[in-house]
Amino acid sequence: MASENADHAVWLRGIEKQFPGVIACAGADLRVRPGTIHALLGENGAGKTTMVNVLAGVYRPDAGEVWVNGQRRSFQSPADAIAAGVGMVYQEFRLVPTLTVAENIVLGSAPRLLKNAEIENRVAELSAAYGMAADPSRPVWQLSMGERQRVEILKSLWRDASVLVMDEPTAVLTPGEAAELGATLRAMAEEGRSVIYISHKLDQVVAFCDEATVLRHGKTVATVEDLQDMDLTKLAEMMVGTSEGGYVDRPPTVETGPAVLSLEGICARNDRGLLALNDINMTVHSGEIVGIVGVSGNGQKELAEVINGLRRATEGRVTVKGQDVTKASPRDRYRLGLAYVPEDRLGVGLAPKMAVVDNSVVRSYRSQRRGMFLSIAKCVRFCKSLIERFGVRVGRLNDPIAGLSGGNLQRLLLGRELAEEPSVLVAAQPSRGLDVQGVAAIQGHLVDQRSDGVGVLLISEDLDELLALSDRLLVMYEGRVVGEYPPDVTPRSILGAAMAGKAPA
Amino acid sequence: MIRPVLVRRDRVLPVTQSLGFVVGIVAALVLGAILLWASDQSPAEVYERMFDSAFIGTDSLSRTLERATPLALTGLSVAVAGSMGLWNIGAEGQMMAGATVATGVAMMADGLSGPALIAVMLASGVAGGMLLMLGPALARSHLGVSEIITTLMLVYVAIRVVEWLQVGPWKDPGSLGFPRIEEVPEQASLPGLFGRVNIGALIALGLLFVFSLAVSRTAWGYELRLAGSSPDTARYAGVSLRRKVLTALLLSGGIAGLAGTVQLTGAEVRLTPGLSSGFGFSGIIVAALALMRPSGVAVVAIVFGAVQVGGQSIQTLGVSSAIADILQAMILFGALVAAVFFNYRIRWTGPAGESPAEELEEPDIAAEGA
Amino acid sequence: MSEEALVGLFVATVQFGTLVFLAALGELIAERAGVLNLGVEGMMTMGAVSGFMVGLETGSPWAAFIAAAVVGALVGGLHALVSVVLGADQVVSGLALTIGGLGLAAYVGRNVVGERPETKFTDLGIVGLADIPWFGDIFFNQPPVVYVAVLMGLAVWFVLTRTRWGLALRAVGESAPTTDAVGHSVMALRSGAVMVGGAFAGAGGAFLSLYMAPGWTEGMVAGRGWIAVALVIFGAWRPGRLALGALLFGFTLALQPRLQSFDIELLGVQVNRISPALLGILPFVLTVVVLVIISWRYRHRPSPAPAALGLPYRREER
Repeated sequence: MASENADHAVWLRGIEKQFPGVIACAGADLRVRPGTIHALLGENGAGKTTMVNVLAGVYRPDAGEVWVNGQRRSFQSPADAIAAGVGMVYQEFRLVPTLTVAENIVLGSAPRLLKNAEIENRVAELSAAYGMAADPSRPVWQLSMGERQRVEILKSLWRDASVLVMDEPTAVLTPGEAAELGATLRAMAEEGRSVIYISHKLDQVVAFCDEATVLRHGKTVATVEDLQDMDLTKLAEMMVGTSEGGYVDRPPTVETGPAVLSLEGICARNDRGLLALNDINMTVHSGEIVGIVGVSGNGQKELAEVINGLRRATEGRVTVKGQDVTKASPRDRYRLGLAYVPEDRLGVGLAPKMAVVDNSVVRSYRSQRRGMFLSIAKCVRFCKSLIERFGVRVGRLNDPIAGLSGGNLQRLLLGRELAEEPSVLVAAQPSRGLDVQGVAAIQGHLVDQRSDGVGVLLISEDLDELLALSDRLLVMYEGRVVGEYPPDVTPRSILGAAMAGKAPA
Repeated sequence: MIRPVLVRRDRVLPVTQSLGFVVGIVAALVLGAILLWASDQSPAEVYERMFDSAFIGTDSLSRTLERATPLALTGLSVAVAGSMGLWNIGAEGQMMAGATVATGVAMMADGLSGPALIAVMLASGVAGGMLLMLGPALARSHLGVSEIITTLMLVYVAIRVVEWLQVGPWKDPGSLGFPRIEEVPEQASLPGLFGRVNIGALIALGLLFVFSLAVSRTAWGYELRLAGSSPDTARYAGVSLRRKVLTALLLSGGIAGLAGTVQLTGAEVRLTPGLSSGFGFSGIIVAALALMRPSGVAVVAIVFGAVQVGGQSIQTLGVSSAIADILQAMILFGALVAAVFFNYRIRWTGPAGESPAEELEEPDIAAEGA
Repeated sequence: MSEEALVGLFVATVQFGTLVFLAALGELIAERAGVLNLGVEGMMTMGAVSGFMVGLETGSPWAAFIAAAVVGALVGGLHALVSVVLGADQVVSGLALTIGGLGLAAYVGRNVVGERPETKFTDLGIVGLADIPWFGDIFFNQPPVVYVAVLMGLAVWFVLTRTRWGLALRAVGESAPTTDAVGHSVMALRSGAVMVGGAFAGAGGAFLSLYMAPGWTEGMVAGRGWIAVALVIFGAWRPGRLALGALLFGFTLALQPRLQSFDIELLGVQVNRISPALLGILPFVLTVVVLVIISWRYRHRPSPAPAALGLPYRREER
């Protein structure tokens, strides 16, 4: 067997991995030749992160084999994977902000006695060898995101990693830095190292990478060996696939009503203080589903938060049913008829450690009073009505809600938001990570709401879902709305191009 | 290598959580027995004496309740902050602050009748506790300064201020040069109920009841629990975290201040630097054992009161009363360890193990490519 | 005021400074690893009683000192077991350590209350330097523990900044998952730090019961453990500043019993009219002020406080 694998730096073979309620990988394969940059493509939830976490020793696969440099491996911990020559650069950098660049790089493989000058010299040599400028004596918190990424790469090179995995590396980089990263990765490949490159930015994938593997629903659906000759839109089609059914179709378009939600000139910053929303204008009418299309990280999360009062708009106006709510609290917005299913179900929408019944009244606890006290009977009755109406399967109402499966969490959350018959529903990634019935149930409710005259803003990364449910599609790219498309007559290739920032003018 | 890993249990019964306290008591009694046995004492005899002196007979019960009263109040103080995930480590100091302000008010309001004076003193005690908490509360809510350290530091500030008062401005001229503060007026002592128990015990019981209801059964308490359990969800529901932090901490300080005043007007006769005598710190342990629930505080406070009374009684057997402190700490350690095993189970993993710890992790789908 | 009194004040300043420095240095190690240990008072008290008892038994101050350190480490080990290995709350565990430690010390030492030790550390004049007027007595004619403490301070600084172990320790106090991911054992690092910290606190306690106030009485540590906790913050978690803070806090401790004898005016205030009690407030007030200043000054950059301080870590919750 070993000889057969000798020409692979990495071979993940038939990887299966299941989490409670979710199948992340269902027999996916990934082969990476030495000295190549290999793109790992797929939509969110396709299993990319699970695959590389198996390679990094974070997860152990339920089935399948992990081969690194011709040897079969069974990693017990990330440290094992590091020792075998696998270097990971996560999107969330694993650096200690208060330590210096050099200290971060040698952490875990430092000599017994640290001679700072000597270590810093060696780090400087290493960074010079790969053309990555980095001052070894600076603390990491002072560095830009691009510089921090270099530190992460240097950390792997310091351990002489033969395989480097990069998860969405250009998300935090300026275009200039991204080009430099491309050159660095190429230099590493020319030395015989391999790079696994996860990205949604297809133009960069084509520019940087030699080969590609496409994952879909936890399986490998395509491998591309001549990436240079590949058409960008064709690649996008491979990722999003063709409609597979299983999606609820909305009934034919009905007459839409008056505007229930509108945004005028909205600007906002993300957590890092960078401009995340740039002059957003949009309107959602009663009785329609407006789908927000876009690769994640293009401002969708911030958009939902600004609409719901969880993030301050630096400019612009949000109105709900004609009323200016730009400065209103989330509770006042809800009272006006704005419901919100956030992307983070557990942690934002629901309090994980609190009981099912407590979570069901997050919006309405003030109405569940009898006199000055919360009426437990009322709360329970309310909770049971949600459970019944939305088909939530729960154990005891007093158990922490975190024990529920993803689908049931989402049914309860959506039910709670719909309980007081809102006029607008903002749903962010409502069916992400759910099983087939869960997806169907959630989508069915969205369509029902539309029929009842609710205006729905659907933010999703599942293009099939958006195409099946939406009356209109808005494409977001780098914090702007770059185009509006009717879903029924727009080819996927055009949407793919718009998502990649190549919208026809 | 095969190694043990703690794995979170899928489901923990609420009843089991409360059992931690019982396990703690058993563990403490066993360890205490070993300690006694090792120093040639009869554990059975010592424990029997402790139990009798704490529970058998009206006088014993009244002693236990007398000790349980301040413990219940400081325990409640800590638990109110704890329902929101905050730590009031300074109940000891707020007790002193409350008693100090109450003493000052009593000095000025000498002419008041008994009930009026008591009411004014109790109210000013609450205010005193809040006053000492004001700095830590504002620092926490507006600057994010850890309330753990600030409240702790102010304990010694409060105690030292009382030391200063008793040798300086408030020194009793009638004490013949002995540094001590004047006794609070006779009519300010809390009316007794039976034995050593005064209405302070009723006040404590009433407050436990009120806060137990307020935390578990009102919209205010719901917001408090929500903000403590999941701050982002609270924000999503429209709760102002800043205001919640301020109210929770100030209430906590106020209750501890009340504890000091009840101690001053009930059990003691004058303000001394030893007035708080560890009740504030024990209150933290009481609240932790009660799992930060006001309803549980009463039970734990009575057990701790009994342990303290029992500890004093065994001195006649020639056994050090320090046993009481050791038992209190051991109850807590036992309960902490028990709680870990109620919430987690041990799984042995190794190269051949079928199920590594990582398997129970949440699916990482949310992180994927986000 | 006599010159002797002034020298005496500064000699005592160095000794009180040493006392809180030893304990605070231990707490610094634990906190830099991310573990808050509010059990310093208890560990010091256990060190005081066990050091004193071993001193009585063996007659060797050094054996007593080492025994106190071992006992301190064992008591600290309980905190490590409960809060690091089992991941229980650090605040509660530390407080229980203090209450239990005080109780256990009282119980263990119940038969030696009032005994006088045969042995004590003799002052160690450093030849040639001890004779310098003023400074000789203050800095170079002190008990050996003072010099040991200085060496320990240097050693801790060296280990933290110049060794692989120290780098890992600083890293685990900032981010346990990162440190775990590169192959260091979070449990071993943190437990080790807490136990070494306990040894320092225990040694500090023995310095008290063997030299500064020879003998054993209940509650003899008298809040110095809490001053040590404060000192770590006042020193912004750095050994050098900790040493300076120790001298300042030591000065306030040394001055308190001597205030009455200082018949001088300072800044318009008659010094002997200041209450010793109010002077005792100073370390705690200063610490609160420093803490507020730190969080204000560092609101836009990483605070000197270890980022993971007080947070338990379990791998499977990564």
